[in-house]
Amino acid sequence: MVRRERLQHPAAWWLWGLGLATAASRTTNPVLLLLVIGVCVLVVSERRDPATANMLVPFLVIGLVIIAFRVALTMILGNGIVGDTELFTLPRIPLPDWAANVRIGGLVTLESLLYAVYEALRLAAILACLGAANALASPRRLLRYLPATLYDVGTAVVVGLTFAPQLLADARTVRAARTLRGHDGRGLGELARLTVPILETAFERSLGLAASMESRGYGRAVTMTAGGRRLASVLALVGLLGILGGLYGLLDASAGGVLGLPLLIVGGLLAAASLVVGASRDRRSGYRRDPWTWTESLTVLVGALAGAVMVTGSAAGWNGLTPSQEAQLPAVPLPAVLALLLAATPAVFTPRPRRAT
Amino acid sequence: MSERRVVPLTWPSRITLIAVAVISVLAFTWPFIVSAQFAKAHGNDAPWLFAALLALLALVCLAEVTAGRLDAKTIAILGVAAAAGGAMRVLSVGTAGLEPMFFVVIIAGRVLGPGVGFLSGSLALLTGAMLTGGVGPWLPFQMLCAGGIGLGAGLLPGRPGARSERWVLAGYALGTGLLFGVFMNLWFWPFIGANAPSGMGFVPGAPFEENLAHYALFYAATSLGWDLPRGVLNALLVLIAGPALLRVFRRGARRAAFGVPVVFGPAARPVETAPPPVDTKGPGGR
Repeated sequence: MVRRERLQHPAAWWLWGLGLATAASRTTNPVLLLLVIGVCVLVVSERRDPATANMLVPFLVIGLVIIAFRVALTMILGNGIVGDTELFTLPRIPLPDWAANVRIGGLVTLESLLYAVYEALRLAAILACLGAANALASPRRLLRYLPATLYDVGTAVVVGLTFAPQLLADARTVRAARTLRGHDGRGLGELARLTVPILETAFERSLGLAASMESRGYGRAVTMTAGGRRLASVLALVGLLGILGGLYGLLDASAGGVLGLPLLIVGGLLAAASLVVGASRDRRSGYRRDPWTWTESLTVLVGALAGAVMVTGSAAGWNGLTPSQEAQLPAVPLPAVLALLLAATPAVFTPRPRRAT
Repeated sequence: MSERRVVPLTWPSRITLIAVAVISVLAFTWPFIVSAQFAKAHGNDAPWLFAALLALLALVCLAEVTAGRLDAKTIAILGVAAAAGGAMRVLSVGTAGLEPMFFVVIIAGRVLGPGVGFLSGSLALLTGAMLTGGVGPWLPFQMLCAGGIGLGAGLLPGRPGARSERWVLAGYALGTGLLFGVFMNLWFWPFIGANAPSGMGFVPGAPFEENLAHYALFYAATSLGWDLPRGVLNALLVLIAGPALLRVFRRGARRAAFGVPVVFGPAARPVETAPPPVDTKGPGGR
């Protein structure tokens, strides 16, 4: 079946990425974590948004750096894991009494290194999921789906996103002009001197933009009554109180942890509702709306399924989700592998993004 | 001072900000106060729970502070602050967190008041994250922290244009640069758990002092080397460019003429609008 080339709804990709990140956060099994990273790489290479830079690569690089950093730190400073398999011993630097808890150098065991690698790999896998979401759907496309209450905030961010590259171009121009006048254009004082002309230009431009927005009747898109606004404020305040109470119940066991989570959830829902009820957007036609079809639903579903399987697996204590630090391949639970493989299917069934011509 | 009324903080938004501040402080400092049983059961989930919670709270804060009262001029000014912060973020990607962004946020908050300070701080972070593609669970924590820095800059004492202003702001930039690092490392510290170097990790249920000492060591070992230069850089930028930048922002705010009532008169002859309120005390009034 050939589907029309289009970009999938950004929310679908982000929910898929969050589901996969949840799955990755539940395990330290290196096989499963590498599988998660593989799924991300596969889907991104098939369906990435061609209009933006591939953000997965920098996220993967950061993940590698984290692993290397953790291993180095564990070798030098050790960690809380005691193991029997001795690899080698680094020269130990004696420290004064007040730093007795810290050690520099000393025995390096295989177990502590493996633990460091597994934990760092988990973080790297979570980062890969986020990088995949960033690469599949640029977060600025999500700005469109802000609730009407945040309409003007979203506009300010869009203005900022548009102005930032212009600011950089201005900076280059001003710097070139200063270089022509014989300043070398380096150093802190020079950087400080750049800011005045750049920001003056930016203010000029933004006030011009404001004038044109006002003359074109900007701001009629959102209708808001005083009563609706007050209701939203009340909802937000009650919701915040609920969240506070819920957190108190969760963190302080003596206050009865049972009440904590429900109170927290109700508070969160009320606060979220305050975002929706405060204002409403006029019905109007949108420019290039992203449709939500069955491919979007299925993408979210497979992502959520991966997360749900891993969460139930870790709650039920499946063998191999958190392997021991021994030099052998850990047991790999089959349902987890199947769920993760299923999460890779959006690489096939989703519509292909249009290639840049 | 007229610029202070650009985004006035109403009572509901003040209470919202205070409640969110309390929740955010809890979201950062829970490792020190939590019971051992909670930490053992949920130590790995809690950072993610708080990330989701703070994302919601950041949106609620933005909605309450703006409350649909932003006019086109305010949006344009906020756009400039967000763009400046975002551009700084893009420039500083290579320098591993030496972000000179806060200095723009601090100046904006100082000139345009705590409301704009909060908005420009959090929007600058958001814009920077969208420009560099670095949207992740750390973003809500960063947004609320940077918003707090801008808000605090708006609340700093001192007459605008006073000689001591730049020193006050530079000290504030140095302090907040360090504090930002202290808090931003805290959100993922318990997640590292036993994998942290010995004597620097989060020990569930250990006494407050022990965990605090462990965290202090962790911070000094992994983060101080970046945070100190960042704080110093921001303070130096405020010292060198601060007065000029303050003038630029005050002039921009004056030309935008916030708070001038719009009067519709008979169409026969052009209406004389009230002259914009001029801040006579400020320097550089032209």
